[in-house]
Amino acid sequence: MSDAAPHLRLERLTRHYAGAPAPAVDTISLDLPRGALLALLGPSGCGKTTTLRMIAGLERPDGGRILVGGQDVTALPPHRRQMGVVFQSYALFPHMTAAGNTAFGLEMRGLGRAERARRAQVALEMVGLGALAGRKPRQLSGGQQQRVALARALAIEPELLLLDEPLSALDAKLREGVRDEIRALQQRLGTTTVFVTHDQTEALAMADLVAVMDAGRVEQLAPPEEVFERPATRFVATFVGRAARLKGMLEPGGVLRCGGLALRSTADLAPGPAEAFLRPHRVRLLAPTEAPPPGFDNLLDATLARRVYTGEVIALETETGAGPVMAELHAGADEAWRGLAPGAPLRLAFRAADLAVFPAS
Amino acid sequence: MRPSWMLRLFAALGLLVLLAPGLLVLVVSFSAGDFLTFPPPGFSLRWYQALFTHPGLMAALGTSAMLAALVSVLALLLGAPAAYAIARLDFPGRDVLATLLMAPLLLPTLVLGLGLLLVLQPLGLVATWPGLMLGHSLVAIPFAVRIMTTAFAAVPKELEAAAWTLGATPLRAALRITLPNAAPGAIAAGVLTFLVSFDETVISLFLVGPRLTTLPVEMFRYAERTTDPLIAALAMSLIAFALLMVAVVERLMGFTRAMGRD
Amino acid sequence: MIGWLLAAPALAVLALAFVWPMAGLFRISLNRTTETGAMETALTTESYAKLLGDAFIRELVWNTLLLAGSSAAIAVALALPVALMVRAASPRWRGPLALMAIAPLLVSGTARLIGWMAILGDNGLINAVLMGLGLRDTPYPLINNWTGVRIGLIESLMPYAVLVLIAGLGRLDPRLEEAAATLGAGRLRTFLRVTLPLAAPALLAAWLLTLVLGISAFITPRLMGGGRVFVLATEIYDQALEYVDWPAASALAMLLLGGLLLLMLLRAAVARLGRQRA
Repeated sequence: MSDAAPHLRLERLTRHYAGAPAPAVDTISLDLPRGALLALLGPSGCGKTTTLRMIAGLERPDGGRILVGGQDVTALPPHRRQMGVVFQSYALFPHMTAAGNTAFGLEMRGLGRAERARRAQVALEMVGLGALAGRKPRQLSGGQQQRVALARALAIEPELLLLDEPLSALDAKLREGVRDEIRALQQRLGTTTVFVTHDQTEALAMADLVAVMDAGRVEQLAPPEEVFERPATRFVATFVGRAARLKGMLEPGGVLRCGGLALRSTADLAPGPAEAFLRPHRVRLLAPTEAPPPGFDNLLDATLARRVYTGEVIALETETGAGPVMAELHAGADEAWRGLAPGAPLRLAFRAADLAVFPAS
Repeated sequence: MRPSWMLRLFAALGLLVLLAPGLLVLVVSFSAGDFLTFPPPGFSLRWYQALFTHPGLMAALGTSAMLAALVSVLALLLGAPAAYAIARLDFPGRDVLATLLMAPLLLPTLVLGLGLLLVLQPLGLVATWPGLMLGHSLVAIPFAVRIMTTAFAAVPKELEAAAWTLGATPLRAALRITLPNAAPGAIAAGVLTFLVSFDETVISLFLVGPRLTTLPVEMFRYAERTTDPLIAALAMSLIAFALLMVAVVERLMGFTRAMGRD
Repeated sequence: MIGWLLAAPALAVLALAFVWPMAGLFRISLNRTTETGAMETALTTESYAKLLGDAFIRELVWNTLLLAGSSAAIAVALALPVALMVRAASPRWRGPLALMAIAPLLVSGTARLIGWMAILGDNGLINAVLMGLGLRDTPYPLINNWTGVRIGLIESLMPYAVLVLIAGLGRLDPRLEEAAATLGAGRLRTFLRVTLPLAAPALLAAWLLTLVLGISAFITPRLMGGGRVFVLATEIYDQALEYVDWPAASALAMLLLGGLLLLMLLRAAVARLGRQRA
């Protein structure tokens, strides 16, 4: 990510739908450097697809601007924007072969037949479908169709690559592999990319930047690790990853009083009613006589309420004096803890910085 | 629930009523006798022979075929853009437009034919090609628009959007993507419009004359005067032709979809 | 806006073929016919008055309504089992059955009537059976009279009725009939107490549609009536082409349109009520 100026800039982008009380996209602003992959992550109806469609030119914003490479493209119709779009349903032209589909964008740009065929073949080989160029879409599997859609979008060497839930139509087993392939391809080509998803694992695994969206607004725009470890808002804390929610009163000095217990936090907010979120992997289980590691200022006595076995992780739901706290055990580790049954007493430790504190809603 | 025997019986009765005339026409057309007698005194092809050597009817057949071909092409050319607009574009008054284009089908052909006679006669356009074409287009265009609207609407919107993002102007996308995918529907529209014009009787009754007449009109007049199996041979030929055309459409597009289930 | 531009050529042709003639029709209905039979340009309702004052015309309209109303009712009644059958049939049979019921629409009306001539005529199927079985010595007149017209009309209206009924019945939840069966109702009782009442709006809609079609029927009364059956449509035709009394023909046509308009408003009102109930 070298360029100083952002490759894609959204400036206060807004979109209303007639009859809806709230805007679908509410003055969104963000910058995306060249070559980066941005994930628009959020629940259905949060406006992520609408935002993508506005970038592509398939919907007109009611307010704001879209700039690509410094140029205002807001008023440009889709066929004049240099963007490759992969639709959720792939939208392959049923009456053309894979090669014909892939070459279509090149045809629109006036390339000669031989040159088109060559570049289309190159694009198809990039996605591993060189041998199936002559097949029609209905003769291809879902995964193969998706690759053709990708090849078609990449063949025109677009300024921006836009993907609308590219993995959602695939079988769960395929998803991970394809996900990594798309990411590898994107990095190799250096194409600035925006993709829409409701699956946080996808977003965290693929993206350079994640924009967590809710109700038309961007709640947080940051690299994946920051979004996960340091959620900026309550929504991000609960939407991305699991977190326990503790309610209480924030006192001066970052002390959070929950259920009569004093918890240390690094919150820099005005005192008042507050909510704190704690991620399970930040909670350390201590043996009955074990001392907490240095820096782990918070120590709670807990009772195991539930354990849920999901294979790689055993989720532990506990009750403490401050409220419900979640912890986890990893398969292979912590053999000593595997025999825990509901009702067993536990000692939990976590750092002050691990509490994400927000004013109560 | 499996249908009861009583339902089956009554349904069979209903279907019998619907199909009986067709069956009888088939049988009687091969009659060797001189009248529409059933059972026929014998079987022969003489009436088909008589039909295909009847100068008046064959001339009318040629006229009707040519007329139907011209009218269906015209209806497709005029109707396709209108159907595209109704199916794919969003503009104020779209529903009003759709209703306006269907309006002629709401009125009895008798009234439509009378009106045409009244305005075309003073202009000397009765029993002329322009007059007949105008009259047939009146019912052909709404049909064509209806069927093609369904055909265009069936093409997923995302295909056009994909074409746009690949650099196709809206016009090119419509021609290269939407139209080819709507082609079966367009062909179905063409075939059915051909049939509509080919069989059109009542409007034509008002618009024909000694110098130009259509097959349905001649068939009607013949049936009014005489009752020999020649008319059955003609009727059977028309039925067979219509069924053949429908089979073609069914092959191409699935008939009920072509009619656009309301 | 572009939508209207794209449709402009089609609209232009329809304006020429539809709007202009209908305007002409209305205009000429305001003309008058002189005693010599010529048409005189005028702006008068004389032609209408003449028609409404003519007992023959009044009887004609009445007969037409009666014919259409009864034929439509019988057509719907005969179409109902067919539509129910289509609904109850396995998916494999549904398409072909529906197609068989609707196929007559694709065949020219005249051709079908010739078939009826072969069935109802003095030398036709029915009389052959009746006389062959010794039930009659002379042919029973089923053609060139109101009976023949009625039969032909009923058959021509049935496909339309089937179409409307299939659409209407499609909205009927089959589980309602299953529920009735589990509560002890036999086939007939279920039909009379559950299916029929629920199908009533569809039946009414089908009847109104076929009524509209029946009132304007021309070919069937003409061919099956043998010149002895007079209905509204045949009278309009005769006035226009035989007597060349254009004002009378157009006035009659306008009256027909007026009646049809009323019926269509009625249909729309019934449809709206039906949707509210559903």
